[in-house]
Amino acid sequence: MKLSKKVVLLGHFGVGKTSLFRRFIDNEFSEDYKVTLGVQIKKKVVEMPDGRELSMIIWDTEGHTDIEDTRKSYLLGSNAFIYVFDLTRIDTYKNLSEDLDYLTKNHPKVIIKVIGNKLDLVNEKETLKNLEELNVKADCLTSAKTNKNVQDFFSELATEITA
Amino acid sequence: MEEQDKLKILKELLLTEEKEYADSIAKKVEELSKIVHQKQKLSHKVDPIIDDKLEEFVEEIPKTLGPTITQTLKEEIKNSQDAVVEALFPIIGKMIKRYIAHEMRLLSDNINKKTKEAFSFKRWFRRTKAKAQGISDGDLAITDYAKPRLIQMFVVEKDSGLLIADYSPLSDGTIDKDMVAGMLTAIKGFVEDAFQGGNQNLETIEYELYTIHIQNFYSYYIAAVISGAYNLMFKEVLEDQIIEFAKNHISRRDLENSELFTNKLKKHFEDEIV
Repeated sequence: MKLSKKVVLLGHFGVGKTSLFRRFIDNEFSEDYKVTLGVQIKKKVVEMPDGRELSMIIWDTEGHTDIEDTRKSYLLGSNAFIYVFDLTRIDTYKNLSEDLDYLTKNHPKVIIKVIGNKLDLVNEKETLKNLEELNVKADCLTSAKTNKNVQDFFSELATEITA
Repeated sequence: MEEQDKLKILKELLLTEEKEYADSIAKKVEELSKIVHQKQKLSHKVDPIIDDKLEEFVEEIPKTLGPTITQTLKEEIKNSQDAVVEALFPIIGKMIKRYIAHEMRLLSDNINKKTKEAFSFKRWFRRTKAKAQGISDGDLAITDYAKPRLIQMFVVEKDSGLLIADYSPLSDGTIDKDMVAGMLTAIKGFVEDAFQGGNQNLETIEYELYTIHIQNFYSYYIAAVISGAYNLMFKEVLEDQIIEFAKNHISRRDLENSELFTNKLKKHFEDEIV
């Protein structure tokens, strides 16, 4: 039987949502930054540990500094949200707690994951320390450029949304 | 005989040959000098005439040679169309060439199709039908050609945009149906949000020869891709058929079982709609 789940990437402009999207789906990375307008949708078929195949329909939305500006219709019917922030730019995660509250309040049944991206540009230990000081809890730190933790993160998410 | 005379006689005897040679050279120099002077004289007289004639000739070119040049160019273009296209191609662009090639391919496909049909039962049936209706066979063929046809159907979960079922009477197609379902939902969501129409829904999307008919239900919508003339009559029949299908054949269980829904969709829309 066909198994499909909707996953939406959220976050500020230029945090690397599209880079993560491309890295996970096509295993590609580009240094060229092109702003996403509206939304782009792609599918990745993931083989689950139990042998089933999951079609992850991923919606890569345009960036917004305020989560409330995200088009509401894009969020409807989601199985998971991936909130992406840029580890090199504090303004992309300073309101993380409020943004997560907004998402939880309006979509209580949706799984929410937080990713700190651009790990290749920072010192991991120092960054983890800084995040802890700011009380920012990320589920995963990734680098779309080097592919660090990207595939593992999505594999774990696939298992979680089908559980 | 004096000394002077003796010397003269001696000179004549010794230098006769050289004198003749010197005389002939002098004669030739004189002749050449005459030619040069004569040409200069002629040039003064002839040059203004030539200049005038040249000016006149240049002025007369559009009248005298224009039509000939135009005709020659026309013929040259006509005879070497490929070369002309090659020369113009980079300037005018690929678009025109591609467009023409595309249209020619369509025309060729249609001719092939019609030729095949000309010897088929369908052809015989159409002729009989045309005769009975009192209209020409050609008119009937044109009506047939423009007739709306169902190309593909998508049943999509309204909120998530996830594909529940799909059916294509013509072919399986190469497009990713899950992505189409997602994008259709995103477009629908965008339009409905942007125009803040309350509970209004996007009902049709048109692109060139195709129309996407969208029919909304409570938790899902059905998008039918139609080719040909999507007219009011077809729209009404299609709407009725989709409503009848949803009302009498679809249950909550089908919405959760993609295979079941697909089979029902296929069975119901297998036959031509109009």
